[in-house]
Amino acid sequence: MIKKNSFLIIKLIICFSMCISLSGCSGAREINDLEIVIGMGVDKDKDTGDILLTAQVVKKDAAVGGAGNGGGGGGDGKSFWNVSSNGKSIFDAVRQITHKTGNRLFISHNQVVIFGNDIAEEGLQEYIDFFLRAHEMRPTTMILIAEKKASEVLDAKPETEKYPAMNIAKLVETSGFTSHFFEVNMKDFASCMMSGTTASLAPSVSIVQEKDNKDIYVAGMVVFKNGKMVGKMNHDEVRGLLWVLGKVKSGVIIVPSPNKQGKAILEIVKAKSKVKPEMKDGRIVMNISIKEESSLSEQTTTENLATDKALEKLQEASAEVIRQEIMAAFNKSRELKADIFGFGEMIHKKYHKEWKTIEDKWDEIYQTIELKIEVDSKIIKTDLLKKPVSPIKKEK
Amino acid sequence: MNIEKGKISGQQLLFLIAGFVHGSALLIDFTVGITEHQTWMVILAGLIITVPVILSYVVLAKRFPEMNLVQINDMVYGRFLGKVISIYYIFFFLMTLSFNIRDVGELYITFLMQDTPFIFFLIVFTATVSYAVAKGIEVLARVSHLFVVTGLFAIISTFILLIDQMDFSNFLPLFELPFIKIFQGIHIVSAIPFGETVVFLMIMGCLNNTEHAVKKTFLGLMIGVVSLLIVAIRNTAVLGGIQTIWTSTSFQSIRLINIGTVLTRMDFLIGIAQTILIFLKCSIFFYVSVTAISQLFGLKSYLPLVLPLAGIEVIVAATVFQSPVDHATITQNAGIIYSVPLIFIFPPLSLLIAKIRGLPKPERGKGT
Amino acid sequence: MEAKGRFLCFHILCCHCFDVVLSRVFSIFRDMNNFPMDEKNKQIKTAWEELFMFGYIYRKIRYLSLKKKNEHMLENDQQDREYSEPISSDLGKNLEVIKGIFRESSDLAVHEFNFGHERRFKGALIFIDNLVNKEEIHKNILQPLMYDSLLLKNDMDFTKIDTIRKSLISMTDISKETLLSGLLDKLLAGAAILMVDGSKETLAIKSGKRDSRSIEEPGTEVVVRGPREGFIENVNVNIALIRRKIKDTELCVEKLVIGDKSKTDVYIVYIKSVANPKLIEEIRTRLKRIKVEAILESGFIEQYIEDNPYSIFPTVSNSEKPDKVAAKILEGRVAIFVDGTPFVLVVPMVFIESFQSVEDYYARPFFASIIRLIRFLSFIISTLGPAIYVALTVFHQELIPTQLLISIAEGRDRVPFPAILEAFLMLFAFDLLREAGVRLPKPVGQTVGIVGAIVLGQASVEAGLISPIMVIVVSATAIASFAVPAQTDSGTVLRYIYLALAGAAGGFGVMMGLLATLMHLASLRSFGTPYLWPVAPLDLSGLKDVFIRMPLWTMSERPKAIIWSNRDSYNQSQDLMPSPYRNDNNDSNQREQGRND
Repeated sequence: MIKKNSFLIIKLIICFSMCISLSGCSGAREINDLEIVIGMGVDKDKDTGDILLTAQVVKKDAAVGGAGNGGGGGGDGKSFWNVSSNGKSIFDAVRQITHKTGNRLFISHNQVVIFGNDIAEEGLQEYIDFFLRAHEMRPTTMILIAEKKASEVLDAKPETEKYPAMNIAKLVETSGFTSHFFEVNMKDFASCMMSGTTASLAPSVSIVQEKDNKDIYVAGMVVFKNGKMVGKMNHDEVRGLLWVLGKVKSGVIIVPSPNKQGKAILEIVKAKSKVKPEMKDGRIVMNISIKEESSLSEQTTTENLATDKALEKLQEASAEVIRQEIMAAFNKSRELKADIFGFGEMIHKKYHKEWKTIEDKWDEIYQTIELKIEVDSKIIKTDLLKKPVSPIKKEK
Repeated sequence: MNIEKGKISGQQLLFLIAGFVHGSALLIDFTVGITEHQTWMVILAGLIITVPVILSYVVLAKRFPEMNLVQINDMVYGRFLGKVISIYYIFFFLMTLSFNIRDVGELYITFLMQDTPFIFFLIVFTATVSYAVAKGIEVLARVSHLFVVTGLFAIISTFILLIDQMDFSNFLPLFELPFIKIFQGIHIVSAIPFGETVVFLMIMGCLNNTEHAVKKTFLGLMIGVVSLLIVAIRNTAVLGGIQTIWTSTSFQSIRLINIGTVLTRMDFLIGIAQTILIFLKCSIFFYVSVTAISQLFGLKSYLPLVLPLAGIEVIVAATVFQSPVDHATITQNAGIIYSVPLIFIFPPLSLLIAKIRGLPKPERGKGT
Repeated sequence: MEAKGRFLCFHILCCHCFDVVLSRVFSIFRDMNNFPMDEKNKQIKTAWEELFMFGYIYRKIRYLSLKKKNEHMLENDQQDREYSEPISSDLGKNLEVIKGIFRESSDLAVHEFNFGHERRFKGALIFIDNLVNKEEIHKNILQPLMYDSLLLKNDMDFTKIDTIRKSLISMTDISKETLLSGLLDKLLAGAAILMVDGSKETLAIKSGKRDSRSIEEPGTEVVVRGPREGFIENVNVNIALIRRKIKDTELCVEKLVIGDKSKTDVYIVYIKSVANPKLIEEIRTRLKRIKVEAILESGFIEQYIEDNPYSIFPTVSNSEKPDKVAAKILEGRVAIFVDGTPFVLVVPMVFIESFQSVEDYYARPFFASIIRLIRFLSFIISTLGPAIYVALTVFHQELIPTQLLISIAEGRDRVPFPAILEAFLMLFAFDLLREAGVRLPKPVGQTVGIVGAIVLGQASVEAGLISPIMVIVVSATAIASFAVPAQTDSGTVLRYIYLALAGAAGGFGVMMGLLATLMHLASLRSFGTPYLWPVAPLDLSGLKDVFIRMPLWTMSERPKAIIWSNRDSYNQSQDLMPSPYRNDNNDSNQREQGRND
């Protein structure tokens, strides 16, 4: 029995080794053969109507032996390469790039996808499918809209980072410091597009030319409706939106000081928001309550603001600023007829029976929504100074 | 009389069942396309419906100690009809085994390793499964708890890592979908993860002590259900409305984990956990089918059947569906009809007949 | 269509014929090693064999080869029967016979002397020169016989060997021999044979001089804290070392002699009340089944009695330290001592034991637990390190963080080989270095070490043959492989297998390899104990000592899977946790007394 089995086992081992060694390695890609893509840009070629895809590929300057020859490399110092090609669709363009690079692109490490202005105006519905379906793409990739052309944005070589795409990614990730725009990744964008009523947003990137350097600047956010760009929002309006969504992490509020002689600058420490939709007799009222804590970071007057009364007045002023920002955002959204706050989905979740009837008419109903905003703003600390630097007036 | 002289303990049975039910966690995606954010309700409803059925399995196994399903069928239905029903069961086991093997292959060619030919995964996976089966049920039972612990660790850790991206209002509108869809979802769920535990009728014959079989079975089932619920809740909470478009929601939600720069790319963790659990599931199916066939034909040992069946299964798995779309469509709409009699009708019927006829009869001339 | 059909049939028929013929040929080759002469085998006549005559030809060849083998075996048997004749009472004849047997050996010493009153009795002392302690023989055998016997009565009859044995010779360890074979056995084992003319019995006196090493620290198991004694080649000294640690009447030392030509002493040592009697019986059976010519080392015995000869994992553990073996005997295991080697076998062995070292128990629990976890981690690194590296960088580059990927890519830019080949080369080079390093003469040792490090490390990287990360990975692997000494050989094999699987199939291949290994490990048994106990058949009480080392006062049970039955499985009392506030009666008395002082 054992002897018979041993012969069978030998046959099996031969078959098995052949199977594994001959067919398994088809998935093998040596690192040398990878073209690591860290940023992609999609534009429209006006002449042919094709898609112009720009991929930012990492250039590996061989630092052999780690002997410190490292990043110095060549004198021109460019460690990336923007390769672009035309194609009738995005996947077509991706494969056409192999005409220029010789290796397939490796998109798994892609950090950002930048769409050009023309594509955004035309509508992203046609172009976004590849980025969700390709298994190499990750849903955490960020979406940005370039002010003019995406390839220009990808060209701007940054000062402190090696690769422009990483620079842009870092820019967007740290948006929390000002809360003037926020990070939108593929999954969020697609979620908004899946819901019939919510409008999606994406940060808008532009190039600011200062002397010789091209700097990248995020000027605001672009509003999409059903995938088509309908308008832009500036920093304050975006922050208004973020107040409602509860995504404000930090930022600066400038309020006039109580004695109207200067300004007090508050740094937002924490912010929370609660939105409760209400339907009364077919009218929709959104109750938004915002709780915010901030700290006094700077003041330009000589008034002593570290008193209860002054702080109260400052709190009221900052609440008013917040309210104005929210109203600005709301008015802009009404102007663009885009439901950027996601009110539609909230109504859907709470009153799903009525939602079936009003879903189709949401655009008109959106204009009639009433907002009730309650802001509770607190100043919790004043950093290091109690009183401002100014000569102490002697009490008479 | 058992072909395999192995014995498993109650605790090992518990882990076998838990791993078995958890192994279907990726198959939940069949229902997600239909029931969207109410998948967790469907799972619970499926559980409630199948609990009495599973109870009947365990009571049946307790009534016929040390006998597996084929022998029970022989005793209850008579020799001819019992063999026909056993052949039906064997058909079910073999088909489901090929579906599961195909599942693994699809998992890999869709997500993790695209360029490798499909049949390679089938061959290698089936080879490992047949090696495990050739070692016997005892070995499988010994390592089952390791698999369950790995699987639980994977899903609990991913759940915790995704908490900050969860939005529990995604569950809201409760009861939104029309009842027909919920019903279809319940049908799928009760057949695929829970109904397939009918295979344990073959394995409960190997228990060395059937006293606490009911308790252990249900505990194992609970652990499996908790795993499925965690998966469903995590996916719905993280992805929200968009979960119906992905082929596999688990993978997409894992891809969103992005903590610091270290814990970023963890989809392979789920791939590993899922492969291990499907390995357990396939080994149990394979073992059960091989044992059933050898019991049916009166063979002394099931070892000679392992390799030929493995070869057949590979070919069936490679050719049964054209694509994952085909697989999903058929499973959602038609594929579970043939398993309904096996899961819901025959075991309780056997129990009823056994109770009426007073089986198993104690043999004459021998003491109790 | 008809032509096609015919061609197809012909094609299939040809393939079938070819297949059958090939399988027949192979089966005959395979059967040639089988031993004879079954009636069944002779009747394998099929139409094919008759047709092609292969069967007949090969059967003839087989018959002839087996005939030769049988004759050879008979010759050997005859040789063994020569010596089983009794000793004659004629001294001269005996001496002739013995001298005849030892004709070609010049170290046989034969001393004939006369003793007794009036030097009436003739005697002869035979021994092999270098095996006996001549001083003892002179003082304790020859002197009393030749001088002190004069003090006894005149008519003392010294042909009765018993009188000599009980009254005159002042040595212990004397046995009577009547058969020539027994006499020769004892002679070769180091005894001096005393023959008296006129007596059919002889005395074999063991005088035990043996040049051996002194007890020193074992080279392979060095500890930081703990006794530094190690076993030596003399088995009696080894058993004495164990006896010093376990001073119990229940400690049994059973002796077996294994090996036709080497007649090696093999001792089975166990504690009667703790070890499982079935285990002891099984070991005895298996040892008695060994019929070889020589047992040179305990490794031979290990390979003849192990449960799974085809597995790469060892199921019999060995050790050079007496405290380790004593601890294992106390747990209920059985130790096998083999004369001539300091390595003592202990059965049964479970997988976890390879990760446990004696030092763990002498150090305190927290540190010991950390070290044990490090050992597990290093085993994982040493087997899976290169495999995971290759799988990640070749198949699953999406799982590596971006910055790391860019660094690795830069390092690998100039390398001409694919990653798998690189990894194989480095592993092979490391094994080569290790093997060469063991056999180096001391003066050259340093040079090779330096050459290895510089050539294989620095120079290859700078020449662009190997990437620096590969060097790091392989060095980490290599160093980690020594952290678990009992599994170095299996670890080496596993490393290559996983690397091949990773190179062929990426993460999927490694995972399937791991699953297959796990199944294989779980199916092994070592003398009845499951190999992965207590992890695989989950036993919570046994888990106290697996991944972490719980404090000694919690481990009060012997391992269940080794003693099996409901014997006294508690080896220490349950409430031994140390504390200054214990409320034993004795303590409070002492404290009070202390205060009164």
